[in-house]
Amino acid sequence: MPDDPKQETFQEFKNSFAYGSRTDLNFKFLKGLSNEDAAQFFQDLLWKLGDSFNDGDFDRLIKHVYQWQIRAYSKEGKWTYTEGPFTPLQKPVSKSRLALLTSTGHFVAENDPEPFGAKNLTQEDAIKRIGEFVKAEPELSSIPVDTPQENLRARHGGYDIRGVQADANVALPLERLLELEQEGRIGRLHSEAYSFVGACSQLRLMKQAGPKWIEIFRRHNIETALLIPV
Amino acid sequence: MCHVSVGHVARLFEEAGIATVVIAIKAFQRPLESMALPRLVITPHVKGRPLGAPGDDERQRATILAALNLLDSAKQVGAVVELPGGYYPGR
Repeated sequence: MPDDPKQETFQEFKNSFAYGSRTDLNFKFLKGLSNEDAAQFFQDLLWKLGDSFNDGDFDRLIKHVYQWQIRAYSKEGKWTYTEGPFTPLQKPVSKSRLALLTSTGHFVAENDPEPFGAKNLTQEDAIKRIGEFVKAEPELSSIPVDTPQENLRARHGGYDIRGVQADANVALPLERLLELEQEGRIGRLHSEAYSFVGACSQLRLMKQAGPKWIEIFRRHNIETALLIPV
Repeated sequence: MCHVSVGHVARLFEEAGIATVVIAIKAFQRPLESMALPRLVITPHVKGRPLGAPGDDERQRATILAALNLLDSAKQVGAVVELPGGYYPGR
């Protein structure tokens, strides 16, 4: 917080949730809102909380945040395309080899990708170094699909990792995919899942990392990919 | 930015002959649709938990099944399915 909190403006306050003195990756979107919209967000949040004091239903608070996340992130981005490639699936999924790839920043505990050569980089470190991540080529981590949750780690300076720490399946659904393979809904789940830190250089992703990842998928005869951003 | 990165991976893979499907939260729908992706499942969930709440195995499973069904059924670029329901932790 500033040395003299009395001098802090509302704009500084709302912006402080995005890589500032009050960093909270669930609410970093506040920085992208106008002062008026951010004020409305807080006022409505507190009003709904008052309703929840009566009926104990806190779902309305989640819905409120959900609606404002949509409002904040729904702007059209820098990367827009009018046409896109399409590969038809040659066989049904129940007869295809499928791999999972996420941008969640997961890795196996004993196989830390050590970004920037840093050992034991923490989530807090990753948040502080987000500016370096977004300029770097992303690195793909391989994760055996039978890795127990306690051996998984997530580190990503762009989102709140508490959800995946509570249950990796919310974004890296290894257990659900293994169940669906067992049931025959997926022909063959590739033995490795893949993950990278999605906060990265788009140009380095497209020119350098992407072609390498395609080679990995081709080498393993992977026909289809389930892709999950956070 | 995370969602844009995955959008670019989808486009690269499709160009290389690997069929893809993306599962993303509603907040990312507009920017991802503007990337002309082949197949997209939109979920009514909060950021950082695209498949549903921790411990909600049933919801996570339903989300993946929607994606697998879309892989089987989509015939052209821009196939989008919105998962009904909401985000309900603690169930």
